[in-house]
Amino acid sequence: MQIHELVGTVHEAAWLPWAVQYFFLIGISATAVFLTFPAFVLGRRAQLPIARLALLTAVTTGIAGPVALLADLHQPARFWEFFVYTNATSWMAWGAWIVMSYVILLLLYAWAVHRPAFYRWGKDNWRFAWLFRLLSLRGEANGFARSFGIGAGVAALGILLYTGMEVAVVHSRPLWNTPLLPLQFAATGAVGALGVMLVLGRFFDTGPTIEAWMNRLLAAGLAVVAALGALWFLVAFSGLSASHTEALASVAGFPVWQNIALWAAAAIVIPFLIAILAPARSGWVTGLIAIHAAWMFRWTVFMGGQAVPKVGSGLYDALMPTGLEGMMGVIGTFGLWIFLLIVYTTFVPWDEADLPGDPASIPTSAPSSRTVQG
Amino acid sequence: MDSSRRQFLGSIGQVTIGAAASIAGANSADAASGSATDATNATGPHWGMVIDLRKCIGCQACTVACIMENDVPEDALRTNVSVYEVVKEGRDPAMVMLPRLCNHCDEPPCIPVCPVGATYKKEGTGEVLVDASVCVGCAYCVQACPYDARFINHETQTADKCTFCVHRTEAGLLPACVETCVGGARIFGDLNDPESTVSRLLAENDVSVLRPEMHTAPNVYYIQLDEALDGRVAGEAAYRPMVTDAPESHGESV
Repeated sequence: MQIHELVGTVHEAAWLPWAVQYFFLIGISATAVFLTFPAFVLGRRAQLPIARLALLTAVTTGIAGPVALLADLHQPARFWEFFVYTNATSWMAWGAWIVMSYVILLLLYAWAVHRPAFYRWGKDNWRFAWLFRLLSLRGEANGFARSFGIGAGVAALGILLYTGMEVAVVHSRPLWNTPLLPLQFAATGAVGALGVMLVLGRFFDTGPTIEAWMNRLLAAGLAVVAALGALWFLVAFSGLSASHTEALASVAGFPVWQNIALWAAAAIVIPFLIAILAPARSGWVTGLIAIHAAWMFRWTVFMGGQAVPKVGSGLYDALMPTGLEGMMGVIGTFGLWIFLLIVYTTFVPWDEADLPGDPASIPTSAPSSRTVQG
Repeated sequence: MDSSRRQFLGSIGQVTIGAAASIAGANSADAASGSATDATNATGPHWGMVIDLRKCIGCQACTVACIMENDVPEDALRTNVSVYEVVKEGRDPAMVMLPRLCNHCDEPPCIPVCPVGATYKKEGTGEVLVDASVCVGCAYCVQACPYDARFINHETQTADKCTFCVHRTEAGLLPACVETCVGGARIFGDLNDPESTVSRLLAENDVSVLRPEMHTAPNVYYIQLDEALDGRVAGEAAYRPMVTDAPESHGESV
């Protein structure tokens, strides 16, 4: 039988590139926060440089992400309704509470970690000392940072759970309705987080030892992503999982999707090999490819998923956006994120963060570069 | 209420003009009262639609009537008629029409996903509706609908869809698409009433629903629906011209 659609409709993507940005940024944030734990929660001094980069990454993406989410609402001024009319059967409704809790706990955690440095900056004689005295609440104790960190970690698990489930429960989109999707979001989120940290590590020159550490972690993350991808295809091809089989069948016949599969494989294999073979001097390359891989995975899932008609024939155009309007969400969100990175690294003593509650870590009060002599 | 347009026209000869308010049949008073509390009455109507594909000629009069009745924005449709050319082995090509609209499911996947409870099923009569004053425009329901029957209305920035013309049925009128259907292919009525035309059509014909595998219990039924068309239609897509931002004007400039 041959069928030709003569009159059909095109359904535009209802979740815009803003949504891609949200899932990208919040996935990075919610996985980066766990990379802060070895130092800031478990007290391992050797992990401090990585933890500092991870906290910088988690906070900046953790703020920019929810802004993108708000922008994806067509009625952003009604966001308060999420908290007043919570519909308990909706993962998105739970997500609103989880996101709010996560951002608050993450900021409290970051504040607690940085409090001793805020206190020191507040004691220096310089223009903005008053601001840091306010920020430190005139104290430097931060033993409670561990509690805030664990709280943020629990909320981060909530983020990873809800963002995955919110998409995976949508039966009407076969590409989304797969049990492995939440795990894939988490694993690619971690890859994206390590990618950002590698790039930031090169930018702030944290040294080859740290870079090699992060590259090995990235290789491990990419291996997990590859294993999940292989498992996805295995259960889809074998018919072990009907939903995965349906997901594969929904896109397998289209050349554009075959190219995407090859591209995705390359985005995993290439940085994996580089990270293994040259871990100490490849941060720019592996980092940028890892960021690209995490972002592309989400773009493919969200925009590609919406390009598959539910009842019509062929594919819609959502996969390849046209025009500046479609890209504004991407450009605007990355712009905001870079702005936050600049603000954070300028006004927050992120590289002075030490083990919380460790009196030995508090430096002597030597005049800093901010002190105005005379 | 239980009628296609053709039956409605036929009924004019049988009743007085003064009875026109009850043209929709014995249950129209229930429909006209319209409040949710009244609608919980178990004897009240439960609206459904039967689409007899043998009678649809693909004229899109329903599409246009819906747009005019519901002020549907230019870039969206609440209902339309998909048209396919189906070539079966050894047979001549056939044109097949498939009117599409919200199925007003009894197990609607769009309702549980709504984070703020803005989309709901009207008690009793069963229309799936959106409270646009509450909708946050998150479009989760648009994703969840397996029929692509929902969209974001860019004039209201909220979720939008077919309402079975609830504002008309509450006034004892037929939905605009039914009212205007040239071939009498769309038949609307009370599924609770075993004597209604829709109930009789369901009893007397082999009927199908779209995407039965989704288990949504739709209230839109099709007579003579080809299995190849009841889900995602695997075939060549229609030509889709690029949509420009500035629509061509066909009317008198204001």
